[in-house]
Amino acid sequence: MRTTEGSRPLGPWRSAWRRLRRDRGAIVSLVIVVIIVGLAFFSGAIWTRVVGHSGDEPYLYAASDTQRPVGPWTHVPTPKTPTIDEYGNLQPPPKGSPSTLFVLGADGPLGRDELIRLLDGLRTSLEIGIGAMLVALLIALPVGAIAGYFGGVTDAVVSQVTETMMAFPLLLFLLFANRYLLGDIRSIGWGWEVPDGAVGVAVLIGVFTAFYPLRLIRAQLLTLRHAEFVEAAHMVGASSHRILRRHLLPHLAPTLLVWGAIAIGTNMLAEVGLSFVGVGVQASVPSLGTLLSTVWGTIYNPHSYDSHAYTPWQTIFPMVTIVLTVVCLNRLSEGLRRALEPRSNR
Amino acid sequence: MRVARFVFWRTLRGVLTLLTMIALTFAFYFAIERQPPLQFFYSQIGRGVPATPQQIAAGRHVFYLDRSKVGLYLDYVGHLARGDFGRFMTIDTQGKVVDAGPVGPQFFAAMRATLAILIGGGLFVVLLSLPLGAISGSRIGSWRDRIISFAALVLVCMHPMMLGLILRSAGQDVHWLPTTGYCPLLGHMRPTSGFGAVAGPSCGGVGDWTLHLLLPWLTFALLFLALYTRMVRARVSQTIDEDFVRTARAKGASQARILGRHVLPFASLGVLTMVGMEIGTAIGVCIYIESVFSIPGLGTDAVNTLAGNGPFLILPAALAVVVLLTLIVVVGNLVVDALYAVLDPRVGAGGSEGGRSKSLVGGVF
Repeated sequence: MRTTEGSRPLGPWRSAWRRLRRDRGAIVSLVIVVIIVGLAFFSGAIWTRVVGHSGDEPYLYAASDTQRPVGPWTHVPTPKTPTIDEYGNLQPPPKGSPSTLFVLGADGPLGRDELIRLLDGLRTSLEIGIGAMLVALLIALPVGAIAGYFGGVTDAVVSQVTETMMAFPLLLFLLFANRYLLGDIRSIGWGWEVPDGAVGVAVLIGVFTAFYPLRLIRAQLLTLRHAEFVEAAHMVGASSHRILRRHLLPHLAPTLLVWGAIAIGTNMLAEVGLSFVGVGVQASVPSLGTLLSTVWGTIYNPHSYDSHAYTPWQTIFPMVTIVLTVVCLNRLSEGLRRALEPRSNR
Repeated sequence: MRVARFVFWRTLRGVLTLLTMIALTFAFYFAIERQPPLQFFYSQIGRGVPATPQQIAAGRHVFYLDRSKVGLYLDYVGHLARGDFGRFMTIDTQGKVVDAGPVGPQFFAAMRATLAILIGGGLFVVLLSLPLGAISGSRIGSWRDRIISFAALVLVCMHPMMLGLILRSAGQDVHWLPTTGYCPLLGHMRPTSGFGAVAGPSCGGVGDWTLHLLLPWLTFALLFLALYTRMVRARVSQTIDEDFVRTARAKGASQARILGRHVLPFASLGVLTMVGMEIGTAIGVCIYIESVFSIPGLGTDAVNTLAGNGPFLILPAALAVVVLLTLIVVVGNLVVDALYAVLDPRVGAGGSEGGRSKSLVGGVF
């Protein structure tokens, strides 16, 4: 056993951390994920102050009926009054008018700053992903613990329900629930940080993805409840609640950590999917899903590629962001799995 | 005998699942539709004229609100056992209830399209993941292995719609490859999508069918590639050190022959059985693929029926969609479970879970 300077062996978390440190791919992914999360939550606001415009302001010189959205690293002129000729066409701005920098270019037909929208969108998507994961955990922990620990009829009922619900494509549940069951919850937001509708979508995704951790928790507890330390605790007189909370749940932490990382990524993809079907966050709220669906259209309203109103940049940046985030979360989860549950032939 | 008993219990659970889903659909429907939305049938009601008792009675009949719910459920299940999905009803201008055709045919046609995507896509997955996994697994850690693993990882993290749109735009540059529409295998029809007509000459037959489905199959396979490639890779790397492989090599067999005849048959069993676990996810992916490639399948029907822009929920349509989708999932799981039971002697002897490992997280997309 590995030891530190004293003679005490390393606990499971420390040795897991050591194993994780040796896995280069996982460390790179961890760094990227930390950077992304840090970027997402504050840099939108910071960059708004740096550049002087927010992600909601349309700029006539960035994109309009007659002008394609500008590409990356453009200084967009912002004169006080745009010069419009007698036909209503936009004329070139007068010399010397101030301009602001659009780092990633402009978006859609409205001419908003793509970088700030991307950062805000990343924040919304991350919030939905993490929120849904927490909601799923909140539901799965008690139900799974009860089903797994007590077994018997409870377990049979819970596992039959779980199998039934998991047999059906969850997307349809989500569609149905969002269309018919959610009317009022949809517009809940939390001021500036959490945009309207994100909470509803997060709860929805969380409720319907709770089956996966529930199955994991139940399976682990079904085997663990016969362990000797549980018997010992029982003999000493510990209540079931105490046994569950103090002795059994800590064993679930590694599995749930591994699941959590993947779940955030999956939830983000689910949010993108919901935007494509039109039931995600509202289209005016930036999220990685809505950024993509404004360009590609939804299932009901697919846009054919309109090269006057959109540029390829508007699809490349959100796509790269999503894929990067989900890939890193997956790789991180894989690294965590190898570190926390070492197998002899890896 | 062991297999028969196992299959019997799984069939029973499948039937129970189906009945539960039907009951759930009924429950949701009656929770939502309390009164017949007559304003969509009679414009004067929308303008404020009160409805006559006759109109209300017709409306309640068409929306199934005037019968006992349990009776309706049992009636529906009874008809379903005989293969009858019921009939649509509507109200004509005189206010009488009119039969509007059987429910079955359009959904069966859609189911054929969806099954074509699912089964073809599944075969494509096996086709792609076996060689890639074999290359990866026979040389773990090499640059080939790393590239394949990384590519698979990136592909699984993409959204089906993203991948589909990329492949479709790429396919539009290849002029002989059609990128939208669906052609039936038997018989001819004009290619249509579920949301509106796609213009084109009528097509049909094996050639057209395959060509129109190539890109959807490729999209489907690429999305599921990661899991199966990794599994084949693991199996290949395990078996490649076994003694019987070493014997074969000592007798002079080439690497390709070793892989093909001794190693891959074990791996393909694993791929087949894992397919069964992912059917729910696969149907979700199918919905997006059908949208991108304009294929009129069950996925688009499901979206239209359950969450479409229609102002009210049509019970027979929703039920038909739910029943058919659940049937696909249940039968698929059953087939895979039966295969596994036949091939793995541990299954069925103990509990009903057997030796099948569960995936960590399914995709919701």
